[in-house]
Amino acid sequence: MKSLLTKLTIPVCSVALLALASGCASSGVKNPSGVPVTHMNADEQGFVAGTGMESQDLVMVTDKMARSILGIPQIANAPTPPTIVLEPVDNQTRFPINKEIFLTRIRAQLNSKATGKVVFLARSQMEALEKERNRKREGAVTSSSDPNVQEFKGADYFLTGTLQGMSTRTKAGTSDYILYNFHLIDARTSAIVWEDMAEMKKQGLEDAAYR
Amino acid sequence: MKALWQPTLLAVLLIAAGCATTSKPKVALTGDIMVDAPNAIANGPPRDRVLWQYRLAAAAMRRGQYNVAKQNLDDALLTLGGIYGKDADAKKARSYFHAEAKKTFIGEPYERCMAYIYRGIIYWMDGEPDNARACFRSAEFEDSDTANHKYAGDWVLPEYLDGFITTQLGGDGADAFKRAQADARGVNLPPYNPKANALFFVEFGPGPIKYATGRYKEELRFRTAPSPVASAELRVDSLQIPIAPTDDVSFQATTRGGRVMDHILGNKAVFKSTTDTAGNVALVGGLATAAASNDRTVQGVGLGIALAGLVSKAVSAATVPAADTRSWDNLPRYLSFVSVPLPAGQHVATFQFLDTGGQVMPSLTKTITVNITTTDRDKVVFVSDTSVTPQTL
Repeated sequence: MKSLLTKLTIPVCSVALLALASGCASSGVKNPSGVPVTHMNADEQGFVAGTGMESQDLVMVTDKMARSILGIPQIANAPTPPTIVLEPVDNQTRFPINKEIFLTRIRAQLNSKATGKVVFLARSQMEALEKERNRKREGAVTSSSDPNVQEFKGADYFLTGTLQGMSTRTKAGTSDYILYNFHLIDARTSAIVWEDMAEMKKQGLEDAAYR
Repeated sequence: MKALWQPTLLAVLLIAAGCATTSKPKVALTGDIMVDAPNAIANGPPRDRVLWQYRLAAAAMRRGQYNVAKQNLDDALLTLGGIYGKDADAKKARSYFHAEAKKTFIGEPYERCMAYIYRGIIYWMDGEPDNARACFRSAEFEDSDTANHKYAGDWVLPEYLDGFITTQLGGDGADAFKRAQADARGVNLPPYNPKANALFFVEFGPGPIKYATGRYKEELRFRTAPSPVASAELRVDSLQIPIAPTDDVSFQATTRGGRVMDHILGNKAVFKSTTDTAGNVALVGGLATAAASNDRTVQGVGLGIALAGLVSKAVSAATVPAADTRSWDNLPRYLSFVSVPLPAGQHVATFQFLDTGGQVMPSLTKTITVNITTTDRDKVVFVSDTSVTPQTL
């Protein structure tokens, strides 16, 4: 009996263990563990963490835009460095973002890689600059030049952009496409003298526990 | 009997394994959400962090503490945005022996929508209407995968505000307005007024709460207490504007339809029931077999079957099909929106909340002094029937 009991016990308990280990309440659920997010160009697949805008996107887009701007004749062949004012990017996607970061990085790339080719105007600081000029005019502070002379530069161009998106969500997952568009506008004529774009598509599927 | 030590030990181990693991001490609650939430966020289980952040954000908005709300919503929405791919806790939540509440709480779609709506309101307050619009679009997006497509993306306010902001920014909001009107269910939405610079978000009534039904509490349900507040009214300057509900959060909660997780919980419940039944049969049958026979071999077989039954019972006991009933329990029932043009200067806005009979509920009246310093930027005001009063914005 002892040997019989041993013979029975081990298989019975093994079967029970197997049932525990292999049983899955997720049977019948497709991709229960989820599918890692896919980083997509317009025509290929990849992997990233979320489907929105991330740092690697920012770097890629702004690097491309900075290189592209320097190649246009209005910049490359300008007799004097053109002055550019940054206008806020228009975010039309479903992702709230730090809008200034794109233009800030483009400006930083241009200033660091092409010093002297373009001059950016700090229009965001105008209030402080005007206060300082008024102080100089009133004699409250010293000045190295005649403060009554108008020296604030006007813009030759405006640099701005638009971010647009298309999103899809089904039981198969979430897909987000974002079009990054930047353009340089002639401040005198309103002509768009330069435009470039980058596009990104990402998709992913969350764990079944969240669906 | 010596031979029984192996299966006995195994059964004991299985029972022990099925028992709840040692849990962290629960965070003591004082009843004050502004104390409990930060404490729970800092010291409670990480899987409940987003839930407490949501609750704190809603409470903070009603107290006019928008920076607190912003900070918590940003962190919560970061978690929400990173849920793709493999998640160990979510996998455990799907397993037989862990409850659904093991997973990181991110909320059901109606809760995620509300998180985006609240964050959108704050972006607009901060002078970032396009980021506000992005949040409203994300809110609509969170509702886009319903079981019945009739209810997909049918929130009214986020769609309406998407078009409103687009119109303000010089674009064409007509399509968004049409979609919002189609979902408005009998409410005539006011046309966009690009000159409106004072925007009032209004919420009232108690929101939905989750509970579970079913033999093993595997079925997720929603319960909403009847709202004592049925509508509201705004008085500012010479204007008297009735405010009807635009969105019903309870409707959104209950029309999302079945979840994939419901299927998994159903499987768990079947497994629990089956192993319990099998265990009963094996236990009773095995013991009866052993007791009825004088043959040692038969007795041995009977005892073996009984042991297997014990194991099956242990497995059943350890199976947890219970649905996750963690709720963002301080959500409102109704949402609405009013936009008016107001000149620069100080204005006193009075919000009265009306019961189902149209009578004013005086104890809920809110007074907000609105200072409009420039007509070039929107003044966004948030008011709830549970907001503190008076406020100055």
